[in-house]
Amino acid sequence: MRLFDPHIHMTSRTTDDYEALYAAGVRALVEPAFWLGQPRTGVSSFTDYFDGLIGWERFRAAQFGIRHHCTIALNPKEANDPRCTPVLDVLPRYLAKDGVVAVGEVGYDSMTPAEDDAFARQLELAREHDLPVLVHTPHRDKPAGTRRTLAVVAESGIPPERVVVDHLNEVTVALVKESGCWMGFSIYPDTKMDERRMVAVLRAYGTDKVLVNSAADWGRSDPLKVRETAQAMLDDGYDRSDVDTLLWGNPVAFYGQSGRLVLDDLPGFTGASDTFAGNSVLRGGRDEAVA
Amino acid sequence: MSGYHLGYGTNGFAGHRLDDALGIIADLGYTAVALTLDHQHLDPYADDLVAETDRVARRLDALGLRVVVETGARFLLDPRHKHEPTLVSENAERRLDFLARAIRVAEGLGADCVSFWSGVCTVDIATGWERLRTRMPAVLAEADRRGVRLGLEPEPGMLVETLSDALRLRTELGEAEPLGITLDVGHCVAVEPQDAAACLRQAKGLLVNVQLDDMRPGVHEHLEFGAGQLDLPGTLAALDEIGYTGVAAVELPRHTHAAPQVARRAFTALRAARLDQDWLAPALRRIAAEPTAIRALFPAAGRHVGRGPLYPGSDPDGLVHGTLDDLARTRLLDALAAVVPADELAVELADLYRYGDGAERRGVLRALAVVGDAAAAVVAAGRGLVADALRTNDTGLVAAALGPFAARHLDQHSWRHGVLKCLFTGIPLAAVDGLNRRADGRLRRMVTDYAAERRAAGRPVPADALRLLEVES
Repeated sequence: MRLFDPHIHMTSRTTDDYEALYAAGVRALVEPAFWLGQPRTGVSSFTDYFDGLIGWERFRAAQFGIRHHCTIALNPKEANDPRCTPVLDVLPRYLAKDGVVAVGEVGYDSMTPAEDDAFARQLELAREHDLPVLVHTPHRDKPAGTRRTLAVVAESGIPPERVVVDHLNEVTVALVKESGCWMGFSIYPDTKMDERRMVAVLRAYGTDKVLVNSAADWGRSDPLKVRETAQAMLDDGYDRSDVDTLLWGNPVAFYGQSGRLVLDDLPGFTGASDTFAGNSVLRGGRDEAVA
Repeated sequence: MSGYHLGYGTNGFAGHRLDDALGIIADLGYTAVALTLDHQHLDPYADDLVAETDRVARRLDALGLRVVVETGARFLLDPRHKHEPTLVSENAERRLDFLARAIRVAEGLGADCVSFWSGVCTVDIATGWERLRTRMPAVLAEADRRGVRLGLEPEPGMLVETLSDALRLRTELGEAEPLGITLDVGHCVAVEPQDAAACLRQAKGLLVNVQLDDMRPGVHEHLEFGAGQLDLPGTLAALDEIGYTGVAAVELPRHTHAAPQVARRAFTALRAARLDQDWLAPALRRIAAEPTAIRALFPAAGRHVGRGPLYPGSDPDGLVHGTLDDLARTRLLDALAAVVPADELAVELADLYRYGDGAERRGVLRALAVVGDAAAAVVAAGRGLVADALRTNDTGLVAAALGPFAARHLDQHSWRHGVLKCLFTGIPLAAVDGLNRRADGRLRRMVTDYAAERRAAGRPVPADALRLLEVES
């Protein structure tokens, strides 16, 4: 089974996770730019992070047979810090890069005027660079935040099929479905959404325009939640082609709108095999290469 | 890549055993060979010709090489007179016998065709032409019997000198089915009234073999690509345009003394020229007109020309020779270097690297081999980028950093550590330019210690490390 995790923060994960992801069937992923836990205090801290997303992290993933892509943005939380907002001026340089498949995560955290401004400017950048948009919905005051998000997206003129609104749940899914935007669900070990509730949502709303991700990061999270969702679907009576459509076809369709997805097998890896096939990068020097 | 097969002529490997030449040609990435039958290469007068032909056929098959048979050996028939006797000599029996043997060899090899020329005419044209016309039917009959196609090659200075001569002979021979055309694109530059692309279009359906080389107008001298006036991208584009699917082999018979290096350079030039056809040529023109355009074109290169390795067979990760997008980026920077002053070039190189992703940074590093020596400011900038790349653990960057620019400009201490880093991260040492020249006692001491550490840990010592230590003894 091939899987695509459309939202996972690999910078915060270990090489064990990469190996486990590959063994579980994950062959491609998207790493959205986001907060690091510790607040940043300047632009260069962002650019080093962005350079990692289009450089080192891509290379690291490739060593384990996984195609890495990313989204680039100023996240809503740090949009409130005037020391960070000048990063908006350097975003165009990154949005031209090969591995960048969307603008994101943008949206709201506390719904402040500064967040309004950063959100609107970045939607405009997405239009200019012809890229899809990944929108984060707030964890606090989620229904109101989601409604406001959809209003801003509608006002921007970006077609809804080029926008995914993420971190949805039973309460917010209907709103987003009605808007025509893609619906993103983050499956966590014990908060937000779990795989059984996810299957119930799929039964109620269908698989069309739905993206399922692990959103694994430095917090309590599980990078194999996409694989577990696949199992939960099979257990519930979905067949393998349904699983393939939802967990591979859908992210390919959404992020494919960027024209920049690269999905062919990496040298030394074949799609059918779960083992490394004598990759010269891994052989001998792997421990040093990823140290 | 499209239909036709890039090959190399064994007459450019006259100093090599045939098996060695074929191995090198295949390793470089060629998928075809133009095999000139000669005293040292599948001698058509050897007693064991049939068995030898079978053996070479198996070797070609194992290497995945398509083949055409060439009959232009210089002293195979007459040790004193080059190319003699020919189809227009007074007595052509030995030539006719040779061509018959070549046809049988081609049949045995499953070759696309037997390529041949007319010969230098030492009598009046009418007599020469008459000789040619009366001798060809026997050759055609043998080819027909064996199911082998013939490629008549117009050759400067010979009776059939131009494409129109060849077409006229074919008409006079009644459009005989086995008779096709071999075209040497360098000859087109030298003697044809139209350019090579136009000749290819004219020969179109009759084309059975193409020879690739550069030449200057009026001078019959086979040159490496870039040394003459051939429009290589335009010529290759014409091959695609007419839907040619046969062999197009490099013809550099006077470069035997440096065959492996020349063949490598030729292949690199061919790969780069093939990139031109869709995206790169307009991109280069844009940079020439508007240098800052490189900022948008540089990141986009991989999307347009591809990201695969240049030599998939011997270098699947592109660590040694780089990738298609690396090559395209070198061309972009080469175009930039031609239109901006050196200090601006230095700044642009640093910016493209600073704001580049992994592939773009690799592209800048590889391009230093070509544009890095422009001026002191450029060398200084290049040294800084190489130093940065050698601090990373991205094998693509480390390998690209240790190319010819580093061989020329990197200090010995940093260079040694770069080599050691290759061993640590599994980069083949073939990626290190000038390795044998720069390797010194200190590097060997470091590698010896590294090997001892590996052995102490019960881990294998990379073959590259052992080879480096062997060179010393």
